[in-house]
Amino acid sequence: MNVHRLLALCRGARLGTRLAAWGVRPTGRDAVEPRRSFQTHRRSLAYAKDLFLGQVNQNEVFPYPEIGNEELEELQQFVAPVDKFFTEEVDSARIDQEARIPPETLNGLKELGLFGIMVPEEYGGLGLSNTMYARLAEITSLDGSIAVTLAAHQAIGLKGILIAGNEAQKQKYLPKLASGEHIAAFCLTEPGSGSDAASIKTRATLSEDGTHYLLNGSKIWISNGGMADVMTVFARTEVEVDGVKKDKISAFIVERAFGGVVSGKPEDKLGIRGSNTCEVSFENVPVPLENVIGEVGSGFKIAMNILNSGRFSMGSSSAGMIKKLIELTAEYAATRKQFDKSLSEFGMIQEKFAVMALNAFVMESMAYLTAGMMDRPGVPDCSLEAAMVKVFSSEGGWICVSEALQVLGGLGYTKNYPFERYVRDCRILPIFEGTNEILRMYVALTGMQYAGKILTTKIKEMKKGNVTLALGMVGKKLRSSLGGTVDFGLTGKDGVVHPSLAESAKKFEQNVALFGSTVESLLYRYGKTIVDEQLILKRVADVLINLYAMTAVLSRVSRSISIGLRNHDHEVLLANTFCGEAFFKNNYWMAQLQKNSPENNDANIKKIAREVLENRAYVCSHPLDRTY
Amino acid sequence: MNVSRNLVLLLGRRAGPLGAPPRPPGAPGPPLGLSGPGSLQAWRSFRRSPVCSKIPAEFAGKQEDKSLVAHDDLFERASRDVRTKAAFGRAVDVFLKRDIRRRGHVEFIYAALKRMPEFGVERDLDVYNRLLDVFPKEVFVPRNFIQRMFNHFPRQQECGVQVLEQMENYGVLPNVQTKVLLVQVFGEKSHPFRKYQRLMYWFPRFRHVNPFPVPCQLPADPVDLARLSLARIANDRDARVTVYQLPATEPSESGAERTLPHIVGVQSPAQMELLSRHDPRRPVFVEGPFPLWLRTTCVQYYVLRADPVPQELRVEEPYDPERCLDYPLQLDLDLDRDLGDDESFDVEDVDEGPVYAMCMAGQGDQATLNQWISGLQEQNPVLGRVPTLFRLQAGSRELQAEPDRVRRPPPDEPTAEPGVPVEEEEEEEAEPRRSRGLKQ
Repeated sequence: MNVHRLLALCRGARLGTRLAAWGVRPTGRDAVEPRRSFQTHRRSLAYAKDLFLGQVNQNEVFPYPEIGNEELEELQQFVAPVDKFFTEEVDSARIDQEARIPPETLNGLKELGLFGIMVPEEYGGLGLSNTMYARLAEITSLDGSIAVTLAAHQAIGLKGILIAGNEAQKQKYLPKLASGEHIAAFCLTEPGSGSDAASIKTRATLSEDGTHYLLNGSKIWISNGGMADVMTVFARTEVEVDGVKKDKISAFIVERAFGGVVSGKPEDKLGIRGSNTCEVSFENVPVPLENVIGEVGSGFKIAMNILNSGRFSMGSSSAGMIKKLIELTAEYAATRKQFDKSLSEFGMIQEKFAVMALNAFVMESMAYLTAGMMDRPGVPDCSLEAAMVKVFSSEGGWICVSEALQVLGGLGYTKNYPFERYVRDCRILPIFEGTNEILRMYVALTGMQYAGKILTTKIKEMKKGNVTLALGMVGKKLRSSLGGTVDFGLTGKDGVVHPSLAESAKKFEQNVALFGSTVESLLYRYGKTIVDEQLILKRVADVLINLYAMTAVLSRVSRSISIGLRNHDHEVLLANTFCGEAFFKNNYWMAQLQKNSPENNDANIKKIAREVLENRAYVCSHPLDRTY
Repeated sequence: MNVSRNLVLLLGRRAGPLGAPPRPPGAPGPPLGLSGPGSLQAWRSFRRSPVCSKIPAEFAGKQEDKSLVAHDDLFERASRDVRTKAAFGRAVDVFLKRDIRRRGHVEFIYAALKRMPEFGVERDLDVYNRLLDVFPKEVFVPRNFIQRMFNHFPRQQECGVQVLEQMENYGVLPNVQTKVLLVQVFGEKSHPFRKYQRLMYWFPRFRHVNPFPVPCQLPADPVDLARLSLARIANDRDARVTVYQLPATEPSESGAERTLPHIVGVQSPAQMELLSRHDPRRPVFVEGPFPLWLRTTCVQYYVLRADPVPQELRVEEPYDPERCLDYPLQLDLDLDRDLGDDESFDVEDVDEGPVYAMCMAGQGDQATLNQWISGLQEQNPVLGRVPTLFRLQAGSRELQAEPDRVRRPPPDEPTAEPGVPVEEEEEEEAEPRRSRGLKQ
């Protein structure tokens, strides 16, 4: 939270006096000038974090966020031409084969304004909100290479200037970036490791006359690295803190025109081949003092914020891709005959379509719920939610793409169909923007930290042997084990969930209550050493992701039924199916999290891994080996 | 048993030198020691393996012996030129040829078992099978339940067990042929066959029981042997073995040949990192030699180590909250692990100093080891600034470096060694003084 509060101050502009109504665009054209430098109301509520305490903060997620009619119309205006462009002009197969996006395609994207979707209009961008950005991402994701190029440009590349840059920097850089005349890149990773800030070796030293910094070092895996004109570069600088000189990370805007920027050969990748990824090295690049983003030494926080804010759109991108895949494969399944039956009559094929539809539905719900939460006034801390969307959609996307390919069988494996390309492109999703493993750690640990702060006194009392507290706990456990229902008020007379979903809502409530007590017992058992229990944290994160997904579908479908959206009965079906499945999975995972649980295999898993890793190879003898 | 074997030995010893002069090959002679009863028992129709019909010349005289067979002598004759598997085989052949009823086969087998190591065939399965083949077949197989109940042909069974016992001791695993032979000779439920079954039960199970097997044949080249030994004690897949000097001879200034000892060292990246963090004000020690046994060979190695850092000098890296970009590396909580979930053992932590590198050298003197240190210095520049003390035990140096003693400078008189960098020389000046001060 602190990080975000700090950030809030440096971009005070965006917290307008606008009504705290749904669907107000925070980054819109009217949010540019700082109208007030203080906030009347700070939203300290956080949905996902409160789940760790076994609380459902329903005001945060019910009703499902929506956008105004005006905005919807505006959005349609953008969507139609973009959709047309992607279906007619973009030749994904060619992009994949030639491993580059043709200039005419890039020009088309620039003309559509897709390089400045979230840049405020006064800087020449489209000035769209997160929700609308998510909608456009649905379409741009039809070509992985283009989606990654655009995302590297605006979701991370120019984001630094947007969220932490000063007015002069914005005036100078944003217009050209928004129009696509200049392309941006985000240079953080160095050989060493991606998340380890200590591995950053690039250094910016103040020149002798003190007018500029000299930047030296090299960065790897820079998307758009070969064609970027403006880069956000993170480098070590010497900062004096309390009289002691320390190395801290600072963010710089570096233009290629400064000289000394060298891009390496583009990497030959498995998927997203059209996007440009390469090494960028800096040799004595002179960077003027005014190109420091934020303050000197504040780079770490800026980097974290950029990374945290860029993730939510992956949900809608994946959903967009899956929806397209469903169309392609359904066509085939309906026409292809086998034993005088069409493929669509076979149960196992039907199952694949159900899986795809469910996944797309859940991702979509999560993505737009999160985008809507981010669009609300205030500085909502949605990094946890965004990370969950990213993890869920990247993994769901991978499953769906591979199922879609499976429907076509051998045909899908050939280059005659786009499926193999989707499979390859999709494989990057669990890797970039923070690997899913790291994001799970982030999700679980952030929540544990939050819950731990609140529960510390209670747990300490329990450890001291406070009888009343212990009895209370026992009573609570007894009640729930005797079939006592948990009621968070989601259903019922004043409930926010539609009665058609009451069953699912009950399951969700039950899971939340159990999750709260699980987290408490984990904190009781492990305390701060839970950082080292990665397998436990993974399950905690998985349960939380499912809980958030359940919330998203419950909220979305309740709204759909209430306003009578077309085919809302199908949505009810999907929601109930998903909640039922998620309920069982959650229960299983939380059973594993109990002490001495027979379902829990972690000790064995760790041992297997340890032996394999000690051997650095598969350990077993060959089954055909003999000893006599 | 023992008495008869001693008798055999006695006879053998006497019979050897006094044996009758060898007959010309092919000359007719009494084919068997005792012809009368042998022909009577011909109806038993032994099944025996084919043996070559021709008896080699050196054994021809044997057939004259009227006494109990002088088996040791058989082997002595066989080994007159070289003691090989072939010679051993010839001796067995001779015995088989000599008597259709295999008289004295038990004694012969005992004698053969005893001589096996001399012929270097103690680990050869074929030879054991040939020995078992010496037993006449089917005679000792019990034919009814009473025979089966009691110890049928105990001496023979015991002898068979003894063969298997020796196989066991030398780690020779029987094969199917052994099994077939034992069944033919003693039958299915005999003691030797039981022994065979037990061997087959345990041997395969224990075959890979040692996770760090030593090869049967150790490399003859000292450099290869050092490589193997160092890789073995380092037990780190990342450790790199470096040959700092190959053994060679070169003429010295005085004209006499001088041999350069081999120097082979091992160091892992983890050790290099530890060494690079070593405080240059604290000395490092070259210690040794320490013994390492590889089967029956003993080799010696030296280590470069330091004393453990005292508690008050240890600095812990403070937690940097800006270390990880994605998730907190530590939680800011005031809760510790619950006792019920604390699965760590209480281990007495003996503070041992780090070992930075290990080496083996042809000579254990300070000059040679200094060459190792200067070789290490190329990869570990910190060694140039760290005082190096040599703590070598004298005892084993005598063993290893006997011939080079003359040439080695006395330890009190430091001289610049060839191949030692200049800065090392300065250290040399200081070191012996310090090491003396330390030791005395």
